[in-house]
Amino acid sequence: MAIFAELAAIVLPVFFCAGIGLFWTRTGHKFDSDLVTTLVFKIAVPCLIIATFSKIKLEFSVIAEIALAATVIYLVTALIAAIVLRLFRLPFPAYLPSMIFPLVGSMGLPVSLFAFGEKGLALALVFFTLGAVGTFTVGAAIASGRLSLGKLVREPALWAAAIAMVLMWLDISLPKWIYDSTKLLGGMAFPLQLIALGCSLGRFQISSLPRGIGLGLFRLGVGFLIGWGVAEYFALEGIVRAIVILQSSMPVAVSNYLFAVIYKREPEEVASMVLISTGMSVVTLPLLLLYLL
Amino acid sequence: MSLVFQIASIIAPLFVIAGIGYVWGRLGKPFDTTLVGMLTLNFGVPALIFSTLTNLEVSPGEFGEITGIFGIFLFANLVIGALLLKIFNLEIGAFLPALSFPNNGNMGLPLCLFAFGDVGLALGISVFVLMSTANVTIGFAFASGKWSLASMFKTPFLWIIAAALIFMVTETTPPRWVANTAEIIGGMSIPLMLVALGVSLSRLEVSDFQQSFWLALARLGIGFGLGIFLAIIFELEGVARGVLILQCAMPTAVMNYLLAARFDRQASGVAGIVVVSTFMSLATLPFLMLFVLSGW
Repeated sequence: MAIFAELAAIVLPVFFCAGIGLFWTRTGHKFDSDLVTTLVFKIAVPCLIIATFSKIKLEFSVIAEIALAATVIYLVTALIAAIVLRLFRLPFPAYLPSMIFPLVGSMGLPVSLFAFGEKGLALALVFFTLGAVGTFTVGAAIASGRLSLGKLVREPALWAAAIAMVLMWLDISLPKWIYDSTKLLGGMAFPLQLIALGCSLGRFQISSLPRGIGLGLFRLGVGFLIGWGVAEYFALEGIVRAIVILQSSMPVAVSNYLFAVIYKREPEEVASMVLISTGMSVVTLPLLLLYLL
Repeated sequence: MSLVFQIASIIAPLFVIAGIGYVWGRLGKPFDTTLVGMLTLNFGVPALIFSTLTNLEVSPGEFGEITGIFGIFLFANLVIGALLLKIFNLEIGAFLPALSFPNNGNMGLPLCLFAFGDVGLALGISVFVLMSTANVTIGFAFASGKWSLASMFKTPFLWIIAAALIFMVTETTPPRWVANTAEIIGGMSIPLMLVALGVSLSRLEVSDFQQSFWLALARLGIGFGLGIFLAIIFELEGVARGVLILQCAMPTAVMNYLLAARFDRQASGVAGIVVVSTFMSLATLPFLMLFVLSGW
């Protein structure tokens, strides 16, 4: 019984917030996703990174460990996904990014926080930052057909991560007013991200159910196996292991949909993958947490 | 010196976050204030109220005390404001709400939080709840010219407070999933409200500076004076005293402008009071903080 209360405390807030967004679009309210995305990715998330790392001091060896594991996970997933897509003769630009990049932000971060506290959040942020780098370079390159570093350099989350690392390295504590400001602004990240996620889900439609289920299962199932395998290979333990497996098993990230729209790479297909895999995660996420806790 | 530093570090986040909104608005970027307003008022603020009140930082007694005293303040402010407007022959329906309802949300809450921690936030919220209820009922009545109690029940505030009071009175804590949900949703309210305040300030214009100046001065002056007076009469001390004076002396709430605009009650005049009183309070805020923190 106690484990159910614990699972509920981790999972329900996430689904509840996304539910607000779903309810919002389904009742026909307007939702300016541009405004919310800008608030989240240009302001809230960078502030969250700075506030979290100025409070939770991770050792550089731990950061390196999780960063290495995350990189290997992304590479291995990309490789396996490419093979699977080739076998089924599906085009890379449309499907590959969705199979590689999980929802490490809107879903991975709050779940990590509620399940493993602020240290869990800090570790999950390392995974997230690498995912953001990957999405904006490799993900965009696969979808657009050419590699561009311009987007990456303009990504405030990356600047924030760099600042956080420098502060940790020099062992500088932020003045209280900067910490308070970033902490407060960072507080917008989870609710706004989740509401925006719910709004997107409310607008998405399922175009091809069998393919969506297949690719959704790949993301969740193969993602879990790769995360588990990499954690075993590097002999990760405790929270680090849990966060690596958790982040690797998230559903398809919504950011893949944004690129699919921009570069006209079958956005309906990507939307349906996002919708189906997120729907499935309602079942798989509690099971996953049951295993990890 | 350390007090000056402390005050600077309390006020700075307010300037930073509202500043983001101000720059946002000045750059002419689209900002859907209706969306942000609906998200904060329907979800963010109720969640913040619930999670602050159920954290058992304040007892129902303290909650009742400061809310009751603030009720007296609002009544006195309405009476004094009405007299003043009568004397100077200004339209009561248009300007009385702007003279009486302070910005206890966008501006008051972060100040209470940074100056007095979670206890300050809890007391600040008690006051804010009463003010916003009064604003949507009495303010609405003045602006529209008719009473509507239905609008009071349409906002989720009353329901949320009732739910929180059950936990407060029985001294129990809500289930963890409820507490976690309320905490993350509530977390967006203060930053979103401050950014929205900045955006509003960048958009509103002052048409009649002289009138705006005197009415803004009246808002801040009456609020501050009544706050101190009531704190002395009711022998408030510490956090309760600080929160009461702070909340009474806040500039005019942006809500007053929205109501005035909706019912076409000299909206540009009210906008002027909002802008001038807010900028004025940026100048008076350090002294106000010095006053409440040093316990003069």
